[in-house]
Amino acid sequence: MASNITAAPDHRPTFREAAAHLVAQGRTAASGARLWILLLLAVTVVGVIGVVGRIAGGFEDRTAWGYYAAVVSFLLSTAAAAPMVSIAPTLARASWVRPVTRVSQLFASVGVVTALLYIPLMFALPPLVEDGVRRRSIWFGSPPLTPHVWGSVAILGLVFIGLALLWASSIPDLRTVAETATGMRRRIARRLAMGFIGTDTQWKALRMRIGVLGAFYFVFLVFTHLVFSADFAVALVAGWKDAIFPMFHAMTSLQSGLASTIIAAFFIRKFGRLERYLELDQFWAMSKLMFATSLLWFYFFFSAFIVFWYGRTASDQAIIDTMVGGPYRWAFIATFMMSFVIPLFTLMWNPVRHSIKGPTIIASIILAGMFLDRIRIYAAAWSARGINDKFIREVPATHWPDIFDVLVIVGAVGAAALAFLLATRLVPAVSLWEIQYMRLLTRPVRFGKGHAVIIAKPD
Amino acid sequence: MARKSILGLYETPDAGADALDGLHAAGIEAHDTEVLTGTPYPEGAFGEHVPQHRLFRFPAFGAVFGFTLALLYTAGTQLAWPLVTGGKPILAVPAMLIILYEFTMLNAVIFTVVGIIFESRLPNLFSTAAYDRRISEGLIGVVVSCEDNKASEVESVLRRAGALEIKTA
Repeated sequence: MASNITAAPDHRPTFREAAAHLVAQGRTAASGARLWILLLLAVTVVGVIGVVGRIAGGFEDRTAWGYYAAVVSFLLSTAAAAPMVSIAPTLARASWVRPVTRVSQLFASVGVVTALLYIPLMFALPPLVEDGVRRRSIWFGSPPLTPHVWGSVAILGLVFIGLALLWASSIPDLRTVAETATGMRRRIARRLAMGFIGTDTQWKALRMRIGVLGAFYFVFLVFTHLVFSADFAVALVAGWKDAIFPMFHAMTSLQSGLASTIIAAFFIRKFGRLERYLELDQFWAMSKLMFATSLLWFYFFFSAFIVFWYGRTASDQAIIDTMVGGPYRWAFIATFMMSFVIPLFTLMWNPVRHSIKGPTIIASIILAGMFLDRIRIYAAAWSARGINDKFIREVPATHWPDIFDVLVIVGAVGAAALAFLLATRLVPAVSLWEIQYMRLLTRPVRFGKGHAVIIAKPD
Repeated sequence: MARKSILGLYETPDAGADALDGLHAAGIEAHDTEVLTGTPYPEGAFGEHVPQHRLFRFPAFGAVFGFTLALLYTAGTQLAWPLVTGGKPILAVPAMLIILYEFTMLNAVIFTVVGIIFESRLPNLFSTAAYDRRISEGLIGVVVSCEDNKASEVESVLRRAGALEIKTA
């Protein structure tokens, strides 16, 4: 039987158009974004005031650091997880992901903000041994400052690998920027391109490097979530023994990483005028993954929750009261709705998934849910008393943020957006070589009276 | 004799492949030619010499090295300080397996990282190969490194294959 595939007109940007548009977009977007950069810089300064105020208040009162820890965890769960959007589908050779790989990898630049915010928090974390008494932790018999050391290794390692991944995947585009840009942008791009000219060996090495760094990033992301959630949440609450919680922490970050990428792609598409590169296909594919991760949110939450709920000892009930049903019930209910119920009952409808605004709105709701989730966990954990008790004897009351907490929250989000925006000034927000590679291996065709895309998978 | 780097620029991959065929027919060695592209083409798309990477050797060697190290460490410490317990062998293999596994994996990972750095061959800050910025706009570059006395022959081969422009460095 003869094939129904016939040729169709190709309206996609040519190599030359893409090169001119995407590299120039960095310049025009940057000049248009100057006002935004100044605004975000002002917000970041506000955040710095908040951090200084928090530090000036001292490290003795752990309760005061709850929202701060929640903010660090929020950044780890959103920006740090976003590069996974480019890693997993690329390893699976998914073609749709190519236009958004750079968008997700640019979130690695936010790691610098996370690492800086982590430094004061490290000093607020109590040592393992105080007054000769060793508190419970995952570090049996280790020296007193063990969690601080490994937490730092995890976060700094994640930031380093993330930036290395962003750099490695940007090398070909940096070469193009070095050829066309002017001034400091040109000098920096030339230095970072490190002599790349596009030989076969260089392309092979580049893809190998991206693959291996991506695998390392995934391993480090899970390790960081394990260490951070265990040391900065679980270990601070007497009687909270939960092997599933670190995995809940890591898995929910994948949902928020996707949400962050969708929102960033939406704004880059709209304000960078990149509609021809970031198309419906990308949003549609990401919304399917977001739907799947929303189901995983409930799966991992319930897997951890059922142990305490079914156990029903005094210790188990105290943990449920602290995190779920007690003073932070409002945050839990809001999280449950925003991270699970609303995404589930909206993204199950194809018209919502098969749109650009639909996934973006749901992604915004998910991010808000994630923020409340981290507040209920960390504000509660850092308010808990009796760290050396067998179990928590007094469920901490809701700790509301003070002025410094508000400044830190606003400033951290502003600093994260600023880091992202500054990174887009150097490298194109949509990867030029990935777009060209996608064009090389795909072709729009007609299938009967409908449209289809033929994709070559040569390796 | 001094060597020259000659670049031929082509509109299509087919023309680039024709240029490589012509160069090979003219007796230019495969390792003296290089295809420059703005995006990664599938291996062998130009009929070019496919360079073999050796990355897989690094984790393999690292794993063997780590395993050997762990074996010497675990066996050596037990033999140096034997704990004789009721007829059981001095070398407790089940307990050694954990250390053997950890050392093997750790060294495989470390050697992989070293391998990536080695195989990447960056930085190449002082490259003298001819280049044209239009390569990042989709043109295909075929670079030939040849001795001075072969330059005119190479240029004519590149031109015959339909080069848009020839550059020399």
